[in-house]
Amino acid sequence: MSLVVLGLNHHRSPVELRERLAFRPEAVPGALTELHRQLDKAGVAILSTCNRVEIYANHNTASAQRLSSGASAFLSRYHDLPEQAFQDGLYQYEGAETAGHLFRVASSLDSLVIGEAQILGQVHDAYLASQRGQVADKVIHALFQKAFAVAKAVRSRTRIGAGNVSVSSVAVDLAASIFMDLAGKTVMVIGAGETARLTLKSLVERGVGNVLALNRSLEKAKAMAASCEGEPVAFAELGRRLHRADIVITSTAAPGFILHPAEFQDALRQRDYAPMFVIDIAVPRDVEPAVAELDNVYLYNMDDLEEVVAANLDERRREMAHGMAIVERGVEQFSRWMHALEVEPAIAAMADELDAIRTRELESTLSNLPDLTEEQREEVRYLTKRIVRAILQSPMTQLKHEIRHHDPHTVLHLVKRLFGLRDSP
Amino acid sequence: MFSGRPRVLFAAERGNDMLTAMDIAFYAGAALYAGAALISLYYLREANRRALTLSVGFVMAGALCLVATFALRWAGVKRLPLTTVADVLSLLTVLTSILMLWLIRKENVRPLLCFYLPPLAAICLANATIARPDLHEAPRALPGLPLTVHVGLAFLAYGLFYLAGMTSMAYVYQSRRLKQHRTTGLFQRLPSLEELDHTLFRAVKLGYPLFLITLIFGALWARVDPDLLGAHWWLAPKVVLSFAMAAFYALAFHIRRVGRFRGPKLAYAVFFGFALFLTSYLVLALTGLRSYNFWGSF
Repeated sequence: MSLVVLGLNHHRSPVELRERLAFRPEAVPGALTELHRQLDKAGVAILSTCNRVEIYANHNTASAQRLSSGASAFLSRYHDLPEQAFQDGLYQYEGAETAGHLFRVASSLDSLVIGEAQILGQVHDAYLASQRGQVADKVIHALFQKAFAVAKAVRSRTRIGAGNVSVSSVAVDLAASIFMDLAGKTVMVIGAGETARLTLKSLVERGVGNVLALNRSLEKAKAMAASCEGEPVAFAELGRRLHRADIVITSTAAPGFILHPAEFQDALRQRDYAPMFVIDIAVPRDVEPAVAELDNVYLYNMDDLEEVVAANLDERRREMAHGMAIVERGVEQFSRWMHALEVEPAIAAMADELDAIRTRELESTLSNLPDLTEEQREEVRYLTKRIVRAILQSPMTQLKHEIRHHDPHTVLHLVKRLFGLRDSP
Repeated sequence: MFSGRPRVLFAAERGNDMLTAMDIAFYAGAALYAGAALISLYYLREANRRALTLSVGFVMAGALCLVATFALRWAGVKRLPLTTVADVLSLLTVLTSILMLWLIRKENVRPLLCFYLPPLAAICLANATIARPDLHEAPRALPGLPLTVHVGLAFLAYGLFYLAGMTSMAYVYQSRRLKQHRTTGLFQRLPSLEELDHTLFRAVKLGYPLFLITLIFGALWARVDPDLLGAHWWLAPKVVLSFAMAAFYALAFHIRRVGRFRGPKLAYAVFFGFALFLTSYLVLALTGLRSYNFWGSF
């Protein structure tokens, strides 16, 4: 039995190459059917994301080398690209290493942004496509099912997905750690920078109730307000309206500070010292740093947010070792299952051989008992079958158990020697 | 006032060290609280929400064990056991636990168990090791209903002030981490600042009136039985401290209510206020200055 993965990803291949070899979602079913046919009815799955293109294949008789070269040729033919063009970036794994690779991918331990959750959905889609196209064999099914279980364990038992890793989502997280419920809170967005727009969008998606859009140009303020059903406010109103804002996002191109401690002190007084979260993503900064020293004002500038992103990424990296340990355990379990699967035909052959011995000896004995009626002969045949089955029941159960926990070939060889049976090819 | 030791068969009286059902319930209660605290700390490490649910289960089981201890003891001595250290600590733990479960009924504030439970577990363990012999002593009888109500309400108020104090600690921690931009690890596992502020205020809002009623019942008790506390009971250090505590919480409660004083400053004040009063009570208790007839003894 040969299980392989062949592919390229963001670690070793540039985006120009990855996009040439990517499969559009609607093209995957057709590609799977063609791949299945070209690899001599092998079980196959295609995982195609913006960061990786991978082909998983399993065949009961073909060698791993044949499967890999077949998959590589398929990629070349399907995308009309010579194999030499992507050979350098290709990687391939066989057997248990294939499982280890998929488990790392599904658990987001191999992602560009470690711990991102999207990849598990993409792996799931790859599996569903293979299943729907009826090109997933027993091993491919088991491989992906195990990958989901491992990924779930990694996500739930480690902090690999803890903390957001984009500036806008970090800002939303921070807002949620200050306010009990973002619904009903008011956001004041000053300026119209792209990050400010993204942060505002994330906050609105999380249910922020009111948006006040300020800009030196009232037209721009109106445009920003219209994008999120907010209220445009003239820039001159800033000081008078500041107290209404629970969250302030500033992103103007002003050369100096536009907000000072005095304005925040006034605002705090007017809002009964309820906390304010200030996100200053302007460069140069809009908010005087001394504002951070005021009680109940939490000021974050671009550097601070990026520091939080870096700290979250660090924490995710630190969790990688725990995740890897879970993956290794998963690989071990999957390998044992594979080994057990590999020796299943051998066990069946052994049972057949024992049955052949029974039949031979039985017929020899029956030939010496000519007086027995056909009914009695059948009874004796049935009796011998029952005896052999009863004798073998416990050893076979034990054998399967031993195969799962030890080297299956050694165990099987030992049993065959014990019973004086031939080694099957 | 003290009518002698009632006729109760305790294991010690029978001349053996056999554990009674009451002992077993008492120890089981302490062990369950210790378990609950450890599980809540495990949440801090693994951020596993199920740990908090399990911790709540342990607290409930522990509280039931302590209630069983209390009931067995009450049935044994035929009077409300409220005067020995072991009884006081057990009852205080149970009442605080009930209030705590009420405060953390919303799932997002449940991580506060990590702050509430370790000191409670430490009290339970200290009770089980140091104060345990009290369980085999008959308690003094409390003279009259006003005093019984006074003690019960005082326990409830202390429980709430304790919970407010620990919540304020969590608030200060979260607020400092936010100010310092250190927002990984433990920070991510605790409730939002606004949630902490609401929980803190809720505890003080309920604790303060209870404490006031406690003081009123105490004063009633002193009027009903003037010989019991002496002529100058209102000048006793414990009474003065209680009134100071009532004034402090009234001030904090009022200022928070009108919105002039909230956030880290209020949290610091509630925490240090509680710590100061607790220390003062302990000093009074350990030095014997707790007597109501303090000035009469000079």
